[in-house]
Amino acid sequence: MNNPGLTILIVDDTPTNARQLEAVARKLGHVAILAGNGVEAIDKFKSEQPDLIFMDIMMPVMDGITAARHIRGLPTDKWTPIVFFSALEQMQDIVRGLEAGGDDYIVKPASLQILRAKINSYARMLSLQNEVRANAEELRNWRMDAEEQSRLGAHVMSRLTDAASLRDPMIRHFNMPADTFSGDLLCAARAPGEVLNVLLADAAGHGLAAALSAMPLTQAFYSMTAKGFPLPSIAEELNRKLKSILPPDRFVAATLAAIDVRNQTVEVWNGGNPDALFINTRGEVAMQWASNHPPLGILPDKLFSGMTETVVFHEPGDLLLCSDGLTEAENPAGGWFAIDGVRDHLSRAQGGEARFTSLLKGVMEHLGGHPGRDDISALMVSVPIDRRRQIRFDTPIPSHQGHLAEWRLDLSYGAQELRYIDVVPAVLGFVTQINALKPHQGALFLIFSELFNNALDHGLLGLDSATKSWIGGFELYMNQRGERLAKLRNGRIDIAFQLHQDGTRAVLDISMTDTGPGFDFEQRLNKPDALGVGNEQAYGRGIALVKNLCDQVVYSGNGNKVWARYLVSDLILENEESEDEAARRKPDGAGDVADLVMF
Amino acid sequence: MLIANEVSGDRATLKLGGRFDFHSHRDFRAAYEKVLETGAVREIIIHFGEVDYLDSSALGMLLLLREKAEGTGKNVVLAGLHGTVKQVLDIANFGKLFSVKP
Repeated sequence: MNNPGLTILIVDDTPTNARQLEAVARKLGHVAILAGNGVEAIDKFKSEQPDLIFMDIMMPVMDGITAARHIRGLPTDKWTPIVFFSALEQMQDIVRGLEAGGDDYIVKPASLQILRAKINSYARMLSLQNEVRANAEELRNWRMDAEEQSRLGAHVMSRLTDAASLRDPMIRHFNMPADTFSGDLLCAARAPGEVLNVLLADAAGHGLAAALSAMPLTQAFYSMTAKGFPLPSIAEELNRKLKSILPPDRFVAATLAAIDVRNQTVEVWNGGNPDALFINTRGEVAMQWASNHPPLGILPDKLFSGMTETVVFHEPGDLLLCSDGLTEAENPAGGWFAIDGVRDHLSRAQGGEARFTSLLKGVMEHLGGHPGRDDISALMVSVPIDRRRQIRFDTPIPSHQGHLAEWRLDLSYGAQELRYIDVVPAVLGFVTQINALKPHQGALFLIFSELFNNALDHGLLGLDSATKSWIGGFELYMNQRGERLAKLRNGRIDIAFQLHQDGTRAVLDISMTDTGPGFDFEQRLNKPDALGVGNEQAYGRGIALVKNLCDQVVYSGNGNKVWARYLVSDLILENEESEDEAARRKPDGAGDVADLVMF
Repeated sequence: MLIANEVSGDRATLKLGGRFDFHSHRDFRAAYEKVLETGAVREIIIHFGEVDYLDSSALGMLLLLREKAEGTGKNVVLAGLHGTVKQVLDIANFGKLFSVKP
């Protein structure tokens, strides 16, 4: 045995007995300490902390039984065996010794072999005990570390999941962890054009490992949403991010949805989560999006598809996203709650709040008081029909003239680039870096995306907006758009922004020219009340919206040129301009006056 | 989890049974590592006929096996899919990542 020797306390009032034991102990490589009576034994026990005690019974001052009782009463964190070594050989003596806290009893005289064997046997037991103690301590430290990590994980996850944007009045959500905290992540954010983006992500497994896998998604989701990137680009970026940092056996199932109340569309990307459901006011499933992609973090970029499914809704309803913890929640008999359970409980109640409560109550009853085996989360968006919705942005505060720097940006995109670049967020990323334009991000996003999409969809791709108003027309339109864009070989869109002073105002002029055939703008745009309440048409509203947000909108050429002037702010002039100077600042690029249709 | 391992020619079949979840990690790895080391094997069939539950860590183990198998020029095939096992694999679209046989 390569264990260090034991410290053995030998208590005996007869020096020959004590010395015999001491000799055996030393020979075996242990340290011996001697005590002549019970009181000395207790003192030595306290000062030397021996590993093993041999205790005589009959001694002056204090006997061995009393000493053993006393020692057993002392606070200690380890077991010190006490072996009585006495000439008393009656059964009751032995029992008395063991009852006083002794572990063993040897009757004197004992052979050297017996003493040697006893000491070796206790040495083995004590070494085993030390090992167990060391393991227990290691386990305790591990546990403390794990608790500390959990505490941090729970804190970070709760902050990420409890983002202010989830408190949107359209959103309801719950997230019940299987562990101390959930690996399911819920996010929501408004894109600059008022579209609401939501994400429900469920990382493989649960607890800290799962949470760690899901965390990287939040930043990319929020920053890309804020810049107005389309859902497929967000899905691609989230996948790229996870693929680059997660090991091959880790992945994150996710549902991404974009809810556009103005255009009455819901767009969904579902990779690995249960069906997303849209329940109408009568409690029927009006739309359903099954998972048709593998989860995020598995496929390399070139094999990954961010393809979404967009559906037009014609009635209000509730969009529900959930993790498989909900559909696979088990009742005590092992039966799953299943997507049918989700659907049933949602359709039992009317109105978003009651509906969501019904779902939560339903799954709790199904679980029958047991915790879920997996994290259970759901996010519901109550989607209104709101054609009256007026887009209103804050009136900008007047700015001092000295702060306005004149600024101009000219861009030209050819077919090659139009096929793969997200032009709207890319361009607005430049534009909204200008301090004077920062507060106008929302309005500029709407204006620019409408003008640009018109130029691309109608000008270059030759799509007809009227398609959108047919039943199933929106899906057809989006399919045609995808196909034609992929095949686009010719064409160009020129874009110009100019921020400048116009009299007492700061204005931003946006002009756009496409190489398409144009359209009959005089006929199309003179239709009365395109933004009107009763307008059921899914087309024509875009330009009306631009008109509503801008000071002036002018079409020219054969309809392939548009110029819009947007009021940035009133200026507080520091030195009054002369009339001549103001007069020179006329809108340029507006073309021949005879060709203009002014709003 | 129970695993039976059969090799015939260039084809190895791992027949799984019971719950295929987080706790199956060591057994599953031990079973497939043996097969990966067998040079003659070109196709590894994971048979789910007797599996009654599959969780997300099991999906992770399949992905790990797929990656290792690709590294040694072997193909992983999922077979015997049924009931909830099939449902879980379908939702994760594993049909797009693995060959699937009935």
